[in-house]
Formats: sequence, C-alpha cells, structure tokens
Amino acid sequence: MNFPIEQAGQNAVVIRVGASLDFRNASDFKAIVQQQVDTGIRRFILDFSETNVLDSTGLGSIFSLHRNLSSSNGHVMFAAASRPVQVVVQLTRTYKVFRQFSSVEAAVQSLE
Amino acid sequence: MDVIRHHFNGVTGIVERLHALFDTWESGHSFFAGVEPDTIQLLRLAVHEWVANLVQHADFSGEEALITLEITPINGRLRCAIEDNSCGFPFRERIEYQRRTLTPFPERGMGLLLLNAATDIVEYAATGKGSNRLVFTVSSTADSCLDIPFS
Repeated sequence: MNFPIEQAGQNAVVIRVGASLDFRNASDFKAIVQQQVDTGIRRFILDFSETNVLDSTGLGSIFSLHRNLSSSNGHVMFAAASRPVQVVVQLTRTYKVFRQFSSVEAAVQSLE
Repeated sequence: MDVIRHHFNGVTGIVERLHALFDTWESGHSFFAGVEPDTIQLLRLAVHEWVANLVQHADFSGEEALITLEITPINGRLRCAIEDNSCGFPFRERIEYQRRTLTPFPERGMGLLLLNAATDIVEYAATGKGSNRLVFTVSSTADSCLDIPFS
C-alpha cells in the first residue's frame, strides 16, 4: 500500500495515511517513515482525513516512530483526524502525546 | 428485535469484507437508527481487533475458518456475538498477560486490551459444538480507556 508524502518545510513532511493503517500495512508504514527519518526528517504530520481504520497495530507503528524521534527532538502530529481515528485517540488518550490539528494546513502552520 | 447476522467463510480478505459491510450498514441508517455514531465506531473497532486477532493468531486446525457475526441493537447499545471454529485460547489470561507486559509506547500486544477497553465483555467461551463465542456490548457513554504507559 502507498503512503503519499509531501514536504512541509524544514525537516518536515505530511504523510497521507489513506483508508487504513492497521495490521495489514503497518510494516509498510514503518519502512516508509524510516526512510524519511534516515534522510533527516524529524517532524511528521499524519493526515487522517480519509482514514476509516486505525487499529492497535497501526497505532503501534506510530508509537514506534515516536520512540525513534524522541531522542532527536522530533515529533508526530495528527491532522484532520476522521471520526474512527478520533475514537481511537480518545480511547487510548494519545492526545496527551500527539498534538491534534483540525486540518493539515493548521498543522503545517504550527511548524513555522 | 432486529438482528444482523453475517457468515464469513475463510479469512482471506475478511477485513476488507467486514469494513465493506459496516459501510453498507452505516449508509443505510435504518438498522443503526437511534445508536450514537461513536457507539458504531467502537463496535467497528472492536470487531476489527477481534477479526485481526483471528487472522494473525487463531489455529483453525487446517480447516476453513467459519466466522459468524451477530449484532443486536438494545436501547442505544449494541450487543455483538462473534463465533468461530478456531481452537480458542485462554482469553482472560491473555488479556492479563498483555496488561502486565505493556511497555511504554508499545508496538505490539495492544489488540485485546483495546478490544477490552472499547467494550463490556460478557463472555468468551466454547460453545460445546466445536466453536468459540465472544459476546460483548458497546456504548459510547462508557468512559473506559486503555491505560498505555507514556513514560
């Protein structure tokens, strides 16, 4: 599965998560974000506007990215979280860790 | 009382089939009338986690997987029963193990805990007819959470 990536400023990218991030494609997601980390990207905006499924394995892959970035002052942001994603965020209280933005544009602006 | 019942044969593509069904049920509105949208999302998440667990870990002893999903709306809540022909596993013990071994920002081992947090589990038991049956209810008014360590 594909995760389109767009540059969003210095050391930052927007990743379009698409329809699902779950046990079926979490390893693909990990590989793609690792490539970005290897090129120096430290700030990740995850666009969940079209996401119908975020499961425990998908969330685990985001936790893995967070751990990967924590030693280099990087971070992960959630943008335009769809209702299914908001339910997972509330249930797991991950809003305490990942800043939530109503849109990708708002998340990008916060980087400036 | 209205009941939705659906049978799945085999696990190939079952997640895609499952979510296509939910899309159909939600777009129709009639079956889930009077049920809060977040309750439906919790149900979808819980069923997904259980089916994901079956796909990744269940032992069907070489037989074709036969999975039956049954959903019943009850006063704004949703009752769900999922029956399958796998060998089953010690559900409560596995949940307690996952809870005890949860590390900060875990990558794996959250599936049953997320299911447990999203639902009120009624029972998981052998049916006595060669299958196992998970029964739970969901409601968006429940204020439970999965307590993930963040440090």
